[in-house]
Amino acid sequence: MAILKVEGLSKFYKDVKALDNVSFEFDHGILSFLGPSGCGKTTLLRSIAGLEVPDTGSISIADKIQTSIERGILVPPYSRAIGFVFQSYALWPHMTVFSNVAFGLKLRKKSEEEIKRKVMSTLDLVGLQGREQRYPSQLSGGQQQRVALARSLALEPRLILLDEPLSNLDAKLREEMRVELKKLIKKVGISALYVTHDQDEAFTISDAVVVMDGGKILQYGTPDEIYNRPLHPFVAAFVGHAALVDGKVVRIEGDNCLVNVPDFNGADLISLAPKTVAAGDTCKVVIRTTEVKLSHDGFPKGTDNVLEGLMTSREYRGGLTDHRVQIGSKELVVTSHKLCPMIRVNGDGGKTFVSIDRSSISVIVTH
Amino acid sequence: MPLIASALAGAAIMTPVLVVMWRSFTSGKLGFTVGLNLTNYLRVFGDKDILPMLSNSVVYAAGSALLGTVLGAFLAWIVARTNTPGKALVELLPLYPILMPPIMKNIAWILLLAPRSGILNGMLQHFFGIETLVFNAFTMAGMVWVFGLACVPLGYLFLLPVFLSFDPSLEESAYIAGSKPVNTMFKITFPLAIPAFTSALVLNFLRGLRSFETPVLQGTPGNIKVFVSRVYDSMALEFNTGLATAYSVVLVVLSVITLYFYIRATRFSERYATITGKGYRVKVIDIGPWKYLTFLAVFLYFLAGIVLPFIVLIVVSMIPYFDYDTFMQFPSNAVLTNYYTVMKHPSFVTGLYNSLILSVTIAIVTVLAGIVMAFTIYRTRAAGAKVFEFIGTLPLAFPPLVLSVGLLIIFIGTPLYNSLWALGIGLFVAYFPYAFRNASGSIVNIHKELDEAAWVHGARWRHVFFKITLPILKPSVGGALFYIFIEAIRNVDVAVLLTAPGKEYGPVTLFEYFRVGQWAEAAAGGVIYLIILIVAVSVAKFAFKMKFSL
Repeated sequence: MAILKVEGLSKFYKDVKALDNVSFEFDHGILSFLGPSGCGKTTLLRSIAGLEVPDTGSISIADKIQTSIERGILVPPYSRAIGFVFQSYALWPHMTVFSNVAFGLKLRKKSEEEIKRKVMSTLDLVGLQGREQRYPSQLSGGQQQRVALARSLALEPRLILLDEPLSNLDAKLREEMRVELKKLIKKVGISALYVTHDQDEAFTISDAVVVMDGGKILQYGTPDEIYNRPLHPFVAAFVGHAALVDGKVVRIEGDNCLVNVPDFNGADLISLAPKTVAAGDTCKVVIRTTEVKLSHDGFPKGTDNVLEGLMTSREYRGGLTDHRVQIGSKELVVTSHKLCPMIRVNGDGGKTFVSIDRSSISVIVTH
Repeated sequence: MPLIASALAGAAIMTPVLVVMWRSFTSGKLGFTVGLNLTNYLRVFGDKDILPMLSNSVVYAAGSALLGTVLGAFLAWIVARTNTPGKALVELLPLYPILMPPIMKNIAWILLLAPRSGILNGMLQHFFGIETLVFNAFTMAGMVWVFGLACVPLGYLFLLPVFLSFDPSLEESAYIAGSKPVNTMFKITFPLAIPAFTSALVLNFLRGLRSFETPVLQGTPGNIKVFVSRVYDSMALEFNTGLATAYSVVLVVLSVITLYFYIRATRFSERYATITGKGYRVKVIDIGPWKYLTFLAVFLYFLAGIVLPFIVLIVVSMIPYFDYDTFMQFPSNAVLTNYYTVMKHPSFVTGLYNSLILSVTIAIVTVLAGIVMAFTIYRTRAAGAKVFEFIGTLPLAFPPLVLSVGLLIIFIGTPLYNSLWALGIGLFVAYFPYAFRNASGSIVNIHKELDEAAWVHGARWRHVFFKITLPILKPSVGGALFYIFIEAIRNVDVAVLLTAPGKEYGPVTLFEYFRVGQWAEAAAGGVIYLIILIVAVSVAKFAFKMKFSL
């Protein structure tokens, strides 16, 4: 049973296409919608919640149709049995933590005792025991976030929707909460949809990721697939730590393919071949720059893709160091995990060699 | 449900508006219609007084707006930016005059400034032997003075936040560039306050166009006619609905033009991004010995705005009858007979009772309806939201007197005629825009996700409305309730045409007393109203810890 099934969903805002014929299925676990702002991810989430009415398409949750424009079905948000954690948390400022969490339970006409038990156990779960009589304004951002989560979890939904829930927290807390949120969702054992524009967050938290842009799904896969085998230049660029250059496939050699890159002084790069590729295809070459190796003295014979360049500058970033290497007409920013003392900045015309392992390159055919 | 309620409110507003329009194109007396024609307009524009009337209206409205707004802006600047002593007191002084009902200000100033019997002329003659009548309430200057004073609080309230929330770095960078404080004031500070000043000025101008008490009580005796007094005369004296509505339409056109400029001015001021709600620490300027002068200025305004009129009213209410000599003998001739008289007078007692009951009821009904309509527009997917927004704001373009002309025409021949319902509906229509705009402003400011969070957690619209929206709106609901109560309980211009024997309205009764020369009784009734208002304000302030802002 798929917890969620979306078919042919489209939505226009005047002339802007927020959702463009979106279809996918999702079994269980945590699914992230990743993309830049305006890519349609929030519209998609809100359509699933019933807060937006799409122009076409249908949505089923646990095999029950919730939205179907074609069949005229639109289950209101209050009957969808879902949880929703808003970006602003949307805690009602005039209610205590207890009342906020109890709100949905009271509407469901649960007994006083049951409400009390459920609210307390949920607050316990999110680590907020003893704060139930506080007002939202008396809590820190992280605590407010937990209240919002508790409010949704208390109703025991089949599916919980989270709209950039960590974006209002500061960087350090955000990283802590990511892991905690994941543990909590796994512990409760429900499925979750998670909207974010932060690829680290999406990768950390989810079992699967949907990368979106311009209202379309560009790729749907596990974090590993998205990172190591991007199917679309935008996905490669958005997911980060990658350089993209134009290339042309020269020939196929078994599992590998040879790609000519004019920007790198016309060098031929070897890489693992994508599923469908033919000689003569134009393509984007995606180089994961954290995996590129640097050397002044060259690399042993047989090392993949050794290129010669000139290091123009180097930026120390604490844990990471960016090395700017000019290769042909392209500047490659190579990120290494520590400052290598033997790598010097050769502004004087001295050479630097880079080596790119074939597994660090993805080829995306663009035709 | 919210849609139906909004539609009802909309209908109550649209009907008088449409009736005024339609009626202006027909001739015939009350209840009889003789075809569509332009007779009324021909009479209006054929009136030899039309041009003087137009110029009177504009001079009166512009003059009072200018006087009031400049004075209000000056007071705001004193309070916000100077080291004038007694800050806590100075900050509040400009607001007290709001409490005094307009009709009472008019009465008090007429008693002070009347040419023959007026107190000030009498004093000049008595103490200085000046025989010429220096002051005359029944002139344009007298009208501008009295209504101009009434325009001060609005200028003050519009400009105070601007001067208080001013980003000091704007001035500091001028200092760095070599500009001295005085130069900076004129080159940087004041220009940046212009948009807010313009908004206040235009709004005061609009209030001047619509104002009723001053033109009728001061203009008419001095034969200075403006549109409002002409509408009132053709309705109340000539009973010519066609003519009254035609004059009304001219007045409405003037109002709409003004309103258009007001909306543009407000939009423009919103674009002045330099002035934000951020809590800047505004630099107070040391103005040296001038600070005593600025303190005096604030204090003088306080005297003119409320103390002087209040003293005059109290004294006049406690002397047997009003003339200069009797006035000057106070307190040796103090009596309470005027209070006995008005309290035994059925028209005053009923009027007082009706005004209390109606203003409380209308405040509640109007505020609730305003919230429901704003909720419908901004928080439901109901069709026609834009239309409601327009209808809800529409009465602002209609002077209250014109609305009551429309309602009166509708009510004739129905059971509503001469009933308290008529008064209630009139007040509802007149004050609805304030309730509606207040509610819209607040609802728009409530993050939409607060509603949506309720939707997804199982709430229907009634739960959202009663459990989320209404409780969060509580502070602004309190303010709006109180504002409309205060305005309604002293209303003259809506009620004046809708009262009937046995269905009096207190302030209108005072207005009638004054017109027939029972000045001492009018003063006594006015003092009673003022006491009620002061009690109400104190109760609201201390019992409900309400904060006041308009």
